[in-house]
Formats: sequence, structure tokens, C-alpha cells
Amino acid sequence: MLTLEHVSAGYGGADVIRNISLQVKRNENLSIVGPNGCGKTTLLKAIAHLIPYKGTVTLDEVELRHMSRREVSLKIGMLSQQFGMYFTYSVFETVMMGRYLHIKNRFSNRPTDADRAVVMRALEAVHLVAEQDKEVTKLSGGQLQRVFLARTLAQEPELILLDEPTNHLDIKCQMELIAYLKDWAKEGSRAVIGVLHDINLAIQLSENLLVMKDGEMRASGRVDEILADGLLNETYEMDVTRYMQSALQRWVR
Amino acid sequence: MRIKVALFVVIGLVMVLLSISLGSAHVPLADVFHVIGHAVFGLDLPEHITAATVSIVWSLRLPRVLLAFLAGSALSVSGAVMQSVLQNPLASSYTLGVSSGASLGASLVLFLGVSLPFLAMLTLPILGFVFGLATILLAMAIAKRIDGSMGNQTIILTGIVFSLFVNAITTLLFSLFLNDSNRMIAWQMGSFAMRDWHTVWILAPIAVAGIFFITRFHWELDILSFGEEQAEAIGVNSRHTKTTLLVSSAALTGSTIAFIGVIGFVDLVVPHIVRRLFGPAHRYVIPMSAVIGGALMVLCDLIARTVLAPRELPVGVVTAMIGAPFFAYIYFSKRGVSNGA
Repeated sequence: MLTLEHVSAGYGGADVIRNISLQVKRNENLSIVGPNGCGKTTLLKAIAHLIPYKGTVTLDEVELRHMSRREVSLKIGMLSQQFGMYFTYSVFETVMMGRYLHIKNRFSNRPTDADRAVVMRALEAVHLVAEQDKEVTKLSGGQLQRVFLARTLAQEPELILLDEPTNHLDIKCQMELIAYLKDWAKEGSRAVIGVLHDINLAIQLSENLLVMKDGEMRASGRVDEILADGLLNETYEMDVTRYMQSALQRWVR
Repeated sequence: MRIKVALFVVIGLVMVLLSISLGSAHVPLADVFHVIGHAVFGLDLPEHITAATVSIVWSLRLPRVLLAFLAGSALSVSGAVMQSVLQNPLASSYTLGVSSGASLGASLVLFLGVSLPFLAMLTLPILGFVFGLATILLAMAIAKRIDGSMGNQTIILTGIVFSLFVNAITTLLFSLFLNDSNRMIAWQMGSFAMRDWHTVWILAPIAVAGIFFITRFHWELDILSFGEEQAEAIGVNSRHTKTTLLVSSAALTGSTIAFIGVIGFVDLVVPHIVRRLFGPAHRYVIPMSAVIGGALMVLCDLIARTVLAPRELPVGVVTAMIGAPFFAYIYFSKRGVSNGA
């Protein structure tokens, strides 16, 4: 559904990422890993067309540049790390904002029962039904992250981009989130692209891995191939394999 | 919430009616209704109502009160939008240079005797409006050159710098034409005195249309409060929406002060009061800013023309005298609540 060819992008004319090519098919997720500052977030922003890019990005055979904001956001949802919070709305109101494109038309913008049902399903998915009337400023970091995820789900996109979605989540929440997203992608013939620092979580989310360093693509392919290559050791400039194995040994003992 | 909305709409109406009734010559409320009924629906007038009363109510007070209400509404809505879009509790059309630009336009008219062909009577408001709007457009164009993403801080800073510069030109004109400066000073203080129905008929459609247009963006205003990038990802065309809102609210302020002069503080204070009463959702903030802002301006004008009667104070003095301490109270009394409003 998504194809990138020789994509470069950045801010204020300077390229942060260079010459990235990748492909994501429906029912196939992709995890992006790499050291801090390697351009993972910039890549996601380019895919969501939040920043201009060079090269080509096509979504279902249509070049992103030729699509309106509305057309892009109806298909791509993004959960980003950066947000402001100038006013405070309730959890329900905030998640309802994800319905913006579905509700907003020239004459009315009142949510229908169907919209409310979508929002409630999204809240159920992130276990926040009980908190729906709480103000978002009163939530913990993990709850807030789940509110924004619910908002992205309420958007009903076909491709979800996740920038560090598990930052503030405990291990159980992380696993539930990944499991939910995998089901979500599978049941609707959709896809998830996730930037994840935790390599174990990345492996859980997808069969495919994109490894980035210094704004460039180091490798992309099946998880087992990349792990077997020892490529991560080189990318992170440390013995990732041994680190993981030694941790594992303590568990199995 | 509905009851609260209804309550404040009623308060606004009562304020308008009281303001027509009260003044140097007191007209009982019943007579006010009779005169309005007579003028609008052609109903018969009771015998005790004189032609002078009819003239006071219909030709002097009613247009003046309506104008005050319209101006208060327009300025408050404009202020609410500026504060929300720029995410700054002190932002207003004035910060961005609208009043400086309008003052420059007005001083060209008053000092240099500039006059538009065919529209001589309207030269002052038209030039005031055009200069006000031109200033903010120019400031925004420069902000865009400096910072392609049009960050809020850039817009505010450019606006402030630009309005200081434009003020300097106005001051220069002042110093060159010191003898004619009385009218200019009077204009800058703002007043609803000596306005007739003509002004109401011009300002009413602009203000009403502007407020309706802005109200349509209430949800975008909510969504933008989480940041432009998040709004963009949800599908809001952030930069376009932001520019549309800033320009339309500057136009609201511009057309208002073009007719009545510079009146400060209402646009700053009213949105804060409204958010306190109705919460941050803009589907309430925008319309209720219009209602409460209108009512407050009517009250300020009532005070301006009665407190030292028969002398009349400039309404801008009243709004500032009430507004400044009130703003301080509202803003500082709730510090620690993290909604920044």
C-alpha cells in the first residue's frame, strides 16, 4: 500500500534523512529501529506528509504530493511524541477529535451515534472507558499516550504510524498494545509502521525491520535475517546480541 | 450548560434594554418598548410619549447601544481567536498591529486631509480598516519569511515590532501636526457618542457575518490547541486555518475600531471570563464571547455617559479602568491551574 523511493527530507532545507526506499504491503507491519537522532521520526513525518520531501512516496499508487491534507489523513494516522496542551478537554472530547474528517462538512459538525460508537470502541481498545470524562491534563503519561492512540484509532485510517508508542507504558500495556495493533492491521487488511526503541517489541510487532543510522538506511528485510547478520551490533556500536542473550540467561536460570 | 447560556443571553438583553432606558434623561422601560414597537411594527404610541422621547430612544440611544454591543462582540470574538490560535493569553489584534495600522490610517485622514472620492464621509473608517488589515498582513508575511512554519512566537514578535514601527510613524505625524491633534486624540480614545443608524447598518452585517464565519471554525480551534502538527495529522489544514482565522479576526477588529476608535481591554478580558464560565470548548467560547463582550461594552458605555453626566468619558477609559484590574484578578487568581488560559 505504501512505497517510498529515494526519499530525502528534513527541516529548513537541510536533509535529515537521505535516500530512503521501502515498501509496506497491507497485512504487513514494519518496525523502524536505529540509534537516537538517526531520523526515524523525520521519516514518519515525511510519510504522513507533515513535512515536504524529495523523491516519491505513493499510497495505493497515488503520489502523496498530489493528495490533499484531507485525503492523506483519511488514510494515514500518526501518533507522534510531540504535542502541546494549551487548553484542557475531556478524554472523550479529545478522542472525538479523531473523527474530525468524518464529521466535518460544510453544514454540520455534530457527531452521530456511529461516531460515538467508534470513539467508545477506541476507548475500549486502550482501556480508558472509565476515564472518558476525566480532563486530559489530569492523566498520567501512559494514560495520555493511550488517549492519543485512541484518537488515532478513531480516525479510522488504513495505515498507522507510531512514534515511540510505548514510551510511558508498563510491560503489560506494551504487550497489549502491540497485540491489539497486530490484530487491528490483520482484521482490516491495514498496516502499522512503528518506530520502537525496544528491539524486542519491534520484533513482536512486525516480521520486517528497517534499520537506520545517521539519516540513512542500513538494512531492511526479515527480522531473522537482520538479527542473524549481527547488523544491529554495528548500527548501535555495541554487542546487542550478547546484551540480549545475557539478559535472557538470567531469566531461564 | 444550556441554562447557563440562556442566563447570559438574558443578562445581555437586560443590559441592552436598561442601557436604552437609563441616561441623562430617564425613559421608563415600558416607554422604550412602546417606541420600539412603534418604529418597528408601526404600533400606536400612547399619548404621554413625546416626540423628544421617541427621538432619544430611537435616534440616539438605540443605535448607540446596538453599536456598543456589536463592537464589544466583535472585539471579544477577535480576542478569543487570537489568544487561542497564537496560544498566548495576552495576544490580541492590537498586539499584532491592527490598532497601530488603523491609527496610522486615521492620522493620514485627520492630519493630511486625505479624502476618498465618492466616499468622503467614510474615508476615516475605510482607511482605518485598510491600514489595520494591511499592517497585520505585512507582519504575517514578514513572519513567514523569517520562519516558514509560521511559529506563534515569530508571529507575535513580528507583530509587536511592526506595530511599534508603525506607531513611530503616527507619532511623527503627531509631532508635525501638533495643532490638529485634538481630533486624533479623541479618535484614539474611542467613543460611541454621535453615532447614528448609518454606522450600525454598516458594522452590523460585517460583525455578524464575521462572528458566524469564525464560529464555524470552533472545532479546529479546539484541535489546534494540541499543536499544529497533531492537528495536521488529524486532517486539519493547520497553516491555512490559522491564517484564515488570524486575518478574519483582524478584519473584525479593524472594521470595529475604524468606526469607533481604539477601545482596549475588552478583547483581552472577555475571553478569559468566558473560558472561566463555560470551559475551553470553542463552540461555547466564541458565541459567548460575543454575548458577554457585547453586554460588557454596553455597560461600559453606560458608565461612560452617566458617571460624570452631563460630561461624557471616553469609553476606552472605562474599559481600561475596569478591565485592567479585572484581568489581573482573573489571570492571577487561577495560576497553578495548568490550562494556560
